[in-house]
Amino acid sequence: MSTGALARAADMPPDAAMLATALIWAGPGQVLFFGALAAKTAPAAIAVAVSLSSVRLLPMCLSVLPMLRGEKTRRITLLFAAHFIAVTVWAESLRRLPELEKAQRMPFFFGFALTCLGLTTLTSGLGYWLTAAVPAPVAGGLMMLSPFYFLAATARAARDGSDWLAIGAGAALAPLTQIFVGGGFDLMILALVGGGGAWLAGFYARKVAA
Amino acid sequence: MSFDPALSPYLAVVLLGFLPSEVWRWLSVLVAHRIDEDSEIFRFVRSVATALLVGVVLKIVATPARELAAVPIWARGGALLFAGAAFFAFRRSVFAAILAGEAVIVAGAWWWGR
Repeated sequence: MSTGALARAADMPPDAAMLATALIWAGPGQVLFFGALAAKTAPAAIAVAVSLSSVRLLPMCLSVLPMLRGEKTRRITLLFAAHFIAVTVWAESLRRLPELEKAQRMPFFFGFALTCLGLTTLTSGLGYWLTAAVPAPVAGGLMMLSPFYFLAATARAARDGSDWLAIGAGAALAPLTQIFVGGGFDLMILALVGGGGAWLAGFYARKVAA
Repeated sequence: MSFDPALSPYLAVVLLGFLPSEVWRWLSVLVAHRIDEDSEIFRFVRSVATALLVGVVLKIVATPARELAAVPIWARGGALLFAGAAFFAFRRSVFAAILAGEAVIVAGAWWWGR
């Protein structure tokens, strides 16, 4: 719902908001896409940013697809199934698929995944429309719903020091890159310097510990 | 890249949103073996993606558009701090963080909004 609000803030039409929800599907990717668009980030940098946030989909797909794959499963079916994998469908699949018989897995998966994606696409459009219709303070709140959610979810998922360092570095660098890096590439520099630095620190910490 | 996302929003969704993320899903169908999620390259990408998400949220807060721009900057910053405080106060609760942050945003806009 909040992606609809963010899309409106980025001056996108409502159907483009729904298209983005149906096509990108992963939440952080959508927040990045619309947030970066609204901030006038360079198109190439938006694509790289969205892609970087979606690398995590690779291991997620790898943990679900083998459970769906049967002897005669066609590759095109798997490609289609892979599209629906984002955190909700992934978590639910890991929970439910193992207890189902192999033949029942694919129907269950598509039933659940299509429902999730369909409903979310509708609420994305609804969010767009609501943001325009409700009083301004509520609209402002709607716009921040996704950002708060994904920020908190990222902090919740932090496992070690370098994760926290990446969060801190991202926050600390944001005003600096905003001021000193132009041309719409500030997010990219922030991510590479902040995230890269956090990884490097963790890398050396592991080396020392080992 | 020399195209303006504002002029062709649908193309922007496909080129800058869909394809860059979908490529990882497609790749998962092609690679047969499992991969090590704790390998250094995955750790690196995870760190970069984490910093990226924090960065974009701060950008939304610092250079707000539309209704959010009416919320004073101290209320936007305060909402983030409040959300962070609630997150830790309630044993890393995502729900508490959202509730606290939203309360400050809406209240800030309601009483001090332009």
